[in-house]
Amino acid sequence: MLTCRDVGQLLQDYVEGALEAPVRQRLDEHLADCPGCLAFIKTYKHTIAISKDLRCKDIPPELQRKLRSFIKDKLGQPDA
Amino acid sequence: MQTTDDARLVERLKARDDAALETLISHYEGKVFGLALRVTGNRPDAEEVLQDVFWRVLQHIDSFRGESKLSSWIYRITANTALEKVRKRPKTRDLPLAEELGPAMTEDGRIAEPVMDWTRLPHDELEQKELAQRLEEAIAQLPPDYRTVFVLRDIEGLSTEEGAEVLDLSVAALKTRLHRARLFLRKQLTDYVSARHPALNPPNPGRPDAHMS
Repeated sequence: MLTCRDVGQLLQDYVEGALEAPVRQRLDEHLADCPGCLAFIKTYKHTIAISKDLRCKDIPPELQRKLRSFIKDKLGQPDA
Repeated sequence: MQTTDDARLVERLKARDDAALETLISHYEGKVFGLALRVTGNRPDAEEVLQDVFWRVLQHIDSFRGESKLSSWIYRITANTALEKVRKRPKTRDLPLAEELGPAMTEDGRIAEPVMDWTRLPHDELEQKELAQRLEEAIAQLPPDYRTVFVLRDIEGLSTEEGAEVLDLSVAALKTRLHRARLFLRKQLTDYVSARHPALNPPNPGRPDAHMS
């Protein structure tokens, strides 16, 4: 039977689906019987899930203009 | 290896094609700015990094051989340019060890304290915003090397292998930093939710001798 400490060490590979099937099964058996580890894994995974939503898709329009004009100026310089 | 689209874009950039320049900028400006903003932690520095990165890309495009993906190369320039700025500042604290970022354990390796499950939060849009805000603040508290790994992997969505290539780290080193960053952020969010929603705290398991801390 895995201990909670073992689960902590396998956690990252578990959430990334990198564990061998037999180890994964032993970990699942532990989780079925251990609310502490289950809550820990669920909140670890949830932290990753909500981080994805922070991705910056567009930059502000004034910054877009500033960037393009910076590059244009640089390219226009004689040593560019 | 670069993709066919990458190769075509690079060839057009080498030929000084204006439309290719716009394609490059519009495709990468959000990614570059997002990484720069989180690594530097402030907008003026991030704006400078944004400009420097595109200028460096154009200056060095002729020597880009396509041995890595174009995106990896641009992320690498961005990470290095942003970290250069941050490294000029006074050094920050390192992260606590992984064991200290998890629940207390008994000597025989069992969890010795109640662990809150806050995954049903947020209940509404306001809580969603607050949780995202708290996460942003916690990311800003990470040491820069951890922050860069976390942003590339979990926010920008790079694979472990690509993240390791961008940062010139071994896969094992990247995974270690990523795990500790995630543990730190999970703990910060848990502490925040626990203070805001005490009712969600699970009951003490009733093992008064179990606490180690």
